[in-house]
Amino acid sequence: MKRMYTVIAILLAFLGVAYFKENGGIVKQAKPKVGVLTLMHHPALDQIYKGFVHGLAKEGYHNGKNITIDYQNANGDQSNLKTMANKLVNENSTVLFGITTPASQALANSTKKIPIVLGAVTNPQGAGLVKNNKRPGGNITGISDQAPVKEQLQLVHKFMPHAKTLGIIYTSSDSSAVTEYKEFMKYAKQMHLNLKAYSISNSNDLNQVSQQMLSEVDAVIVPTDNTIAGAMQTLVKNANAVNKPVFPAVDTMVKQGGVATYSINQYKLGVEGGKLTADILKGKKKPSTTAIKYIRHGEPVLNLKQARKLGLHVPASFQREAEKYGEVIK
Amino acid sequence: MNLIVSAIGQGLLWALLGLGLYLTFRILNLADMTVEGTFPLGAAVAVTAITHGFSPLAATLLAFGAGMLAGLVTGLLYTKGKIPFLLAGILTMTATYSVNLRIMGKSNISLLGQKTLFSGSFMTSLPQYFDSVVLGMIVIAIITLLLIFFLDTDYGQSFIATGDNPVMAKSLGIHTDATINVGLMISNGLVGLCGALVAQSNGYADVNMGIGTIVIALASIIIGEVAFGELTLSQRLVAVTLGSIIYRLILLAVLQLGFSANDLNLISSIVLALCMMLPQLDKLFHIRKPFFKGVQTND
Repeated sequence: MKRMYTVIAILLAFLGVAYFKENGGIVKQAKPKVGVLTLMHHPALDQIYKGFVHGLAKEGYHNGKNITIDYQNANGDQSNLKTMANKLVNENSTVLFGITTPASQALANSTKKIPIVLGAVTNPQGAGLVKNNKRPGGNITGISDQAPVKEQLQLVHKFMPHAKTLGIIYTSSDSSAVTEYKEFMKYAKQMHLNLKAYSISNSNDLNQVSQQMLSEVDAVIVPTDNTIAGAMQTLVKNANAVNKPVFPAVDTMVKQGGVATYSINQYKLGVEGGKLTADILKGKKKPSTTAIKYIRHGEPVLNLKQARKLGLHVPASFQREAEKYGEVIK
Repeated sequence: MNLIVSAIGQGLLWALLGLGLYLTFRILNLADMTVEGTFPLGAAVAVTAITHGFSPLAATLLAFGAGMLAGLVTGLLYTKGKIPFLLAGILTMTATYSVNLRIMGKSNISLLGQKTLFSGSFMTSLPQYFDSVVLGMIVIAIITLLLIFFLDTDYGQSFIATGDNPVMAKSLGIHTDATINVGLMISNGLVGLCGALVAQSNGYADVNMGIGTIVIALASIIIGEVAFGELTLSQRLVAVTLGSIIYRLILLAVLQLGFSANDLNLISSIVLALCMMLPQLDKLFHIRKPFFKGVQTND
């Protein structure tokens, strides 16, 4: 009991001292510091970080030499994000880089002054991070990982001009996937395509929901969706069983048995983030006036093996494009 | 120094979770999994209410109510539906996931630019991170006093008796089903409240934010018990809050020591396991005598 009162007394005394201590003295650092906060390990997210480091290096900022990169990973536990964000802000990071929406929100909530660069936030305005995607206004700007939805729909149409019904499947708790699904629906309406939506809450639902879907549609579209990416084999297995193609938004999913896509390269997205961060470090750009950057042109990726298996007619122009600028899996 | 203040503030806010679980885990002797669902439920309700123009205080109280409802569902499944308790909690936890998505309409809502309990002029005039310290202290003080008062009433005593020995309690004329339901409601109400406060402090609600919360709650309870030993019931409630603060300080120390963030989950589990094994280790090595006198194992 005595010990408890002692601890309370120490805590209160500490808080008292901290309250009256002036917080003005910011230490000038010789090396600029870049704080990176990410939600968890995931192949795509790790690629973004690797690209980010490379993008900084391209602009002359090498980790350990003339900058320090402090990488914090919350391991999927969102209660860690706040502490880590505070740590990065408190150690006077010059620029912060947030990977995923919750990580970026934690950073945004910890500082209104230090510039924040977003990586892999599909819709910053929708996530409440910036006032306007074109003119952010505050201390935040960045790169959106939204896939080139319109290009992808046109591609599906090219492959299957006579398809009556297309299906889209996404995870309802994945905010990036939901944003893209809405975009897909919007463009499908414009293009007069019949697109039917199916949602799952976790990867265990995928088997059953996808079987149901495949009995009702001619082809399947998958947005940038972490959960489905992890369970892609299940979807492909079910689709192959009924001889119907899957058009995912991400290149890795094409490699796992999708047919074709215009994909955003996560690594390149990271590189863009690194370059933007370097521009801010050099004082060339200010977050408040730098619009959120979208990667408009995806990289063409074609899985020829899968297309042949399904007996699909591959548009020759797309195959040439993929051979020249993208990737063809044979 | 600032980071320590921040950790203390976080510990105070998260302490509500520990207090909520203490009622079911230690007093009613039931391990309630519902909290992993009620925590994001509180956050979802509060944040949605705020974005729909409710005052932050009203939104926070709504979150408390929503938590109570979830607790009641678990209670009814257990007492009336005769579903094993652990399962009843897991069922409610699973169901709240869908409910949370329905409430928010999407998986993540931000509070940037909205009024919260932390945006009053008094709160923003405080030095950095003192907002959560001050608000946390006020809320914890009120809740702890109310709980002490509640447990001291006749009803509160029957609540404790139900946890100690349900058969005996029934024979004394206590409606054990009703006390369990009320206990679960209060407990989950507090967890919902905690979710509401943490969401306002973090600036967003996310449908996945409940993952791992039960470990955080257990850590507060167990660290509090191991660190402070033999205490009266009301002192033990205070110990939960201190346990929550100590847990945050340990996490901060781990981060500061430069451990790879990949190992964080492993390290927090090891810390927790060591705390729980302390009575056994003590039997073997008598390590505690010089440091701690008369620590109660309390199981």
